[in-house]
Amino acid sequence: MDKVGVITSFIHNIVLLNIPLLYGTVGEIVVEKSGSLNLGVEGTMAVGAIFGYICGCYANSMIVGILTAFIAGALFGLLFAALTVSLQANQNITGLTLTTFGLGIYFFVGNGLRASGNWPTITESLKEGFSDISIPLLSDIPIIGSGFFSHNVLVYLGIAIAIFMWWYLKHTKFGLRLRAIGENPAAADSVGINVKRSKYFHICLGCGIMGIGGYYMGLNMSGSFNSSCWINGYGWIAVALVIFANWNPSIAIIGTFVFGFFNTLRVSGSSLALAFPDFLGWLADVPTQLYQALPFIITAIVLVVTSIKNKRGRSGLPAALGLNYFREER
Amino acid sequence: MRFHIVKRDNGPFWQRCCYYVVAVIAALAVGAIILASIGVNPFDYYSKMFTMGTVGNKIAYKTFMNYLKEFVPLVLTAVALSLAFKMRFWNIGGEGQFIMGAIASAWVAFQFGAYLPMAVTLIFMCIAAMLAAGIYGLIAGVLKVKFGTNETLMTLMLNYVALYVLYFIGETKADWNFFLQADSARPVFESFASVAQFPSFSLGGKFELNVTVILTVIIGVLIFFYLKYTKQGYEIGVVGDSANTAKYAGMKVNKIVLRTVFLSAALIGLASAFKVGTSGVLSTSVTNDVGWTGIIVAWLAKLSTPMIFIVSMLICVLQHGSTVAAVSFSQVDSSFANMLQGVILFLVLVADFFVRFRIVRVKKGGND
Amino acid sequence: MAEQYAIEMRNITKTFGSVVANRGIDLAVKQGEILALLGENGSGKTTLMNMLSGIYKPDSGSIFIDGKEVSIDSPEDSKKYGIGMVHQHFKLVEVFSAADNIWMGQDKTGPILKKNRFKYVEDIARKFGFDIDPRKKVYNMAVSEKQTLEIIKVLSYGAKTIILDEPTSVLTVQEIEKLFGVLRRMKEEGHAIIIITHKLNEVMDISDRVAILRKGEYITTVNTSETNEQELTEWMVGRKIDLNIDRPIVEKTRPLLEVRDLVIRNDEGSVAIDNVNFYIRGGEILGVAGIAGCGQKELCEAIAGLRPIEKGQMIHKGDNIVGLSPKAILEKGISMSFIPEDRLGMGLAPSMSITENMLLKNYRDGKGPLVDRKRGRADAEQVIKELEVVTPSSETPVRRLSGGNVQKVLLGREIKAGPNVIVTAYPVRGLDINSSYAIYNILNKQKLAGVGVLFVGEDLDVMMALCDKIMVLCHGKVMGVVHAHKTTKEELGLMMTGVLDLSEKHEDKPAGIAKDSLFESKDGEEA
Repeated sequence: MDKVGVITSFIHNIVLLNIPLLYGTVGEIVVEKSGSLNLGVEGTMAVGAIFGYICGCYANSMIVGILTAFIAGALFGLLFAALTVSLQANQNITGLTLTTFGLGIYFFVGNGLRASGNWPTITESLKEGFSDISIPLLSDIPIIGSGFFSHNVLVYLGIAIAIFMWWYLKHTKFGLRLRAIGENPAAADSVGINVKRSKYFHICLGCGIMGIGGYYMGLNMSGSFNSSCWINGYGWIAVALVIFANWNPSIAIIGTFVFGFFNTLRVSGSSLALAFPDFLGWLADVPTQLYQALPFIITAIVLVVTSIKNKRGRSGLPAALGLNYFREER
Repeated sequence: MRFHIVKRDNGPFWQRCCYYVVAVIAALAVGAIILASIGVNPFDYYSKMFTMGTVGNKIAYKTFMNYLKEFVPLVLTAVALSLAFKMRFWNIGGEGQFIMGAIASAWVAFQFGAYLPMAVTLIFMCIAAMLAAGIYGLIAGVLKVKFGTNETLMTLMLNYVALYVLYFIGETKADWNFFLQADSARPVFESFASVAQFPSFSLGGKFELNVTVILTVIIGVLIFFYLKYTKQGYEIGVVGDSANTAKYAGMKVNKIVLRTVFLSAALIGLASAFKVGTSGVLSTSVTNDVGWTGIIVAWLAKLSTPMIFIVSMLICVLQHGSTVAAVSFSQVDSSFANMLQGVILFLVLVADFFVRFRIVRVKKGGND
Repeated sequence: MAEQYAIEMRNITKTFGSVVANRGIDLAVKQGEILALLGENGSGKTTLMNMLSGIYKPDSGSIFIDGKEVSIDSPEDSKKYGIGMVHQHFKLVEVFSAADNIWMGQDKTGPILKKNRFKYVEDIARKFGFDIDPRKKVYNMAVSEKQTLEIIKVLSYGAKTIILDEPTSVLTVQEIEKLFGVLRRMKEEGHAIIIITHKLNEVMDISDRVAILRKGEYITTVNTSETNEQELTEWMVGRKIDLNIDRPIVEKTRPLLEVRDLVIRNDEGSVAIDNVNFYIRGGEILGVAGIAGCGQKELCEAIAGLRPIEKGQMIHKGDNIVGLSPKAILEKGISMSFIPEDRLGMGLAPSMSITENMLLKNYRDGKGPLVDRKRGRADAEQVIKELEVVTPSSETPVRRLSGGNVQKVLLGREIKAGPNVIVTAYPVRGLDINSSYAIYNILNKQKLAGVGVLFVGEDLDVMMALCDKIMVLCHGKVMGVVHAHKTTKEELGLMMTGVLDLSEKHEDKPAGIAKDSLFESKDGEEA
């Protein structure tokens, strides 16, 4: 047995399987930083996935797929923003409905196309586009090299987006203004920041990023459509990961790998146990459901610990999260 | 020309009704456009869906019995959630509480089903489910009261923890695991003994009414009564309306919150006991998403118990009807119901806005 | 007059529902002058200024900037026109540094945050004569630092007109001196400054001209050098108007509620009520006058058991009530109907019906788990009939009633409980004349029945006509208790603003302590 190969492929899988989480998380961080709690990540990713995949296949182009997924997600964001920012609707309800609605569209379109025999199979050029690109030198590092540095283009894009959004939030004035809105919209408003416009823009942007994450999952499934959704709960893990990452996109990268580590153990734990019976043999006895539940358990603990400490300035939780802003409120 | 939004008081009842009726009709119209665009006659489809295919059908009674099986857990869950929502406690943990209740009642069914008489077994199943779900719900309640932990996110996390506990039980073959069939090589849930299943009565003809339906209606009436006429129900209303007023009136707000959260979660547990007690078997998709749909139902019904019954009936017609209609209209997937449900809720939220706010035109100042 | 004003407001009217906050107001400020905007609480000063800062839109009237008519639709517009407002409740992002709070509204700087912004902000601050730590987070700042930051903020945006909403209420004497130095310097640099205040000494000290509002209406604008405190007070509070409110003379009982050396802290942790002594007898109405935020709210909450007491004693008919729960205090018959600014925030459940609100304090009565709704409805019907509440039915949500009717429902419920002490705060705020008189009649009836009433009010005319005695608070301290029929508005006004202190003016007994106090007979059976 190729023990090194097992480790390498384990590392490779951590990245490959879990990057959609990063998209979902970074997108949700952008949305939540504007003070909006969008519980519709799952549905938003689902519409991004289905429309991105279909349009990508018909146009036979990866770029078209990515753009369509982004636009589909952003349109969902627009719906959320119109309802919560302009029409002052309850954010929890709107978000949950967005999930129901999004999954409804996903299956309606997907099953509809399959029933009529029009479901597109994945094209060669998409397969090509989703294949691994090795980074020279780095990918030659033994063991971890090809695990970390030989991936498809969407992996690199996802990490680039996360780093960019971290920089954007922390080091640009737009990010500063966005954070101000999430913390205290009245204060932001009073210095002449256009609160509504910024909220609309960032909700759409964040939801668009989620959409790309959905597209990724569709490609990773090679477009095989069955009764369980491609997104498969990743949207909800993303909501959890936002808390774990303390609303920081760069920690979200680490968080993705931490959550992804457990997620991958579920898939590859048994092969690790087989390769290293002495050290890791016990892995075979751990129920896979524990790995699946761990992200949520960890997040619940993080949630409780932060609420006990509740130290100002430390938590990235936007103070006005979940509250709608109405300027003339007396 | 600029517009300006002004808060307003609720208009008269009929006016609000009008807004909501218009919203629902508009949503159906949106659905009709979607149907027409894929070449389906919306009238044919809607008539099939809303009648659930019962017209001219010899086994219509079966459709109706199946319909009620979906209706009971949904309406009970929505009623339960409305208790917490009335208090502005965002219990979105219905899924998790439902699962915990289902596991607990299945445990009773397997452990005592063989020894105890039916009535006792069933009562034990209900109590176990209510306790398990109630305590599970209480976790988020205690954390909220003690540390101010966000209950929305907390209950959300607990949903998934519960889900994977259920998966663990459902997918693990082991000697201790009495939930699964012992003689099957693959993990398959064992069915309950017949004494652990809620009985049905024939009402003449072939239609059989399950006791859980009757019990659900009774519970609905009781909760309506509880909220409206009891001291505890009164307290829930005041705490939800204004926590300051409640304190001012000498109420112990934290105690009321915990009590209500427990009751809300326990009722969801009861819904799950009804569910597994009628289907006679556990399943990894035991919740049928009632924890989520229940939230939408409760909200659509504006947390009023009678309205929750009506909205649940309609949502179940949507869901069940679309499954039935999918048989005759192969190009329309049953997920059309979820889409339609989403559109309805969005448009009702829009209607809400017009109930709460008024748009006035602002005269542009200046000489331009 | 061909004079060019920096800002001119003409005939501005703003209403909130049925309440008129501003009616036909004219206001003008020149460059290089400090205009004081003077008025009592609720006279509409802040509302008027919020129309300049873009928070509210006027219903009618026009605004001119440098002689040109403009429309201010948002804070963005306001900033564009060079108006900066330092709000009474600071609009700062707590988790940001000082520099970032300023930086977020800067339009001219580049899109990328660089380390040099701290230096930039520090330099700007220094240019305006301030010394701040640009890296300090707002949540670590003292109140005066936050205010300084707010001022630097608006200055750095190039504000030519600066509005300060009660800037001195949170500052110490030294800090006020410093602030005034800053304002004078800004004036010399050609800024137009509007300062909202109700402290006369400060008006005299700092302003060039004074504009006075009263009850939402414009009274006058005068040059500060040509006026004096007496005259301003008279404009602010108005001439004594004979309101024709009855003041029945009632046989008074021994003290019902006595308060000794009371110290209470507010939510921010500073002392709100500072060593206060007073007592209420049955059959009298004790008025509490004072500028808003002088501890009235905290005092009412403490009496009702809703706010912990730092120090001091409260006895009711000789029994200690310090530390009792709200419920236990209710059972003693101390009924408090306390209406804060947000009328429906406390005391009533707004979306519940009149019937249900009637039950708020007695729903626990009676055995069994059920609420006695019949009784609630009977009470509701009776209150509606006796107090002439205008409502479609007893099942109408309270939220839908008009202000006066809400007030009647609240008072009606309190009176039904048969209390012997009523604490009521601003019971006629926002009500029209007729509703107000109805409320006065209700209170007088209670007085006739031997109830002791603590009336926290804001309209001095009303208090002088209605109350038997008036206690004046200033910054949590009692400035004195005067007989309502002997005092003058000027005297009250001067006490409220802290100019006059009569608390030591008692020849024969210590202030606020009854001759026949029940404190001494604590162990005695009956009073």
